[in-house]
Amino acid sequence: MSIFDGLNANASALTANRFKMDVVSSNIANANTTRAEQNEDGEWVPYRRKIVSQESRGASFDSFLQKSLGRSDNPGQGVRINSVEEDQSPFKQVYQPSHPDANEDGYVQMPNVDPLEEMLELMSTSRSYEANVTALNASKGMMMKALEIGR
Amino acid sequence: MKPIDPQFFTQATASLNPQQTQQNQVTASDVQQGFANELKNAINKVNSAQQASNQQTNALVNGEADNLHNVMIAAEKASVTLQTATEMQNKAVDAYNKVMRMQL
Repeated sequence: MSIFDGLNANASALTANRFKMDVVSSNIANANTTRAEQNEDGEWVPYRRKIVSQESRGASFDSFLQKSLGRSDNPGQGVRINSVEEDQSPFKQVYQPSHPDANEDGYVQMPNVDPLEEMLELMSTSRSYEANVTALNASKGMMMKALEIGR
Repeated sequence: MKPIDPQFFTQATASLNPQQTQQNQVTASDVQQGFANELKNAINKVNSAQQASNQQTNALVNGEADNLHNVMIAAEKASVTLQTATEMQNKAVDAYNKVMRMQL
């Protein structure tokens, strides 16, 4: 337990949200990328939407050990990025015969990125970042108020 | 009602026993030494917070920092610890002044 625990938890959330923002940016940037990687046949595969999953940093071996020893007075230690997964939903089929990546029937496989969904994610991530900054400022304000005791 | 613990009296009288207190007595120099060490540790901690903040700021200026908020948080931590240190210093100086103003 330290007086900076709250600050550190919020800092980890800020880092996680920053990372999430980067992933969302990458999704938006690649919304029309038809050549992200090549499969084993040498054909180009469109970009797959990336999804970030977060986990609590308190769920560590140390915290379980402390809990089983009966000393579990430590609050959560914040959040961290667990993994970045690929969205396995099917690609969009767009009829565009003049496209260089179109198949024999004239259809192009477009990434499974939905710009609307990405914008939503972007907004919620940026709001979450703001919320963490507010919480951080609140805990800093508490410390500053504590320093005024007895002045 | 809870029965009285017979140990309670022996403990209470032991603390009143002058011979026992003689052994545990701490001299003024011990107290001063302990206080000086404590103060030194605290100042070292404040210094390390300042150094961490400096390091982060340098990394930011050199374009090595990957997150802006970490720089700001390190700076805030340094600021809070320094402010606490100055507050403690003010308290200590106040106490010293009070002692010096004591009427003899």
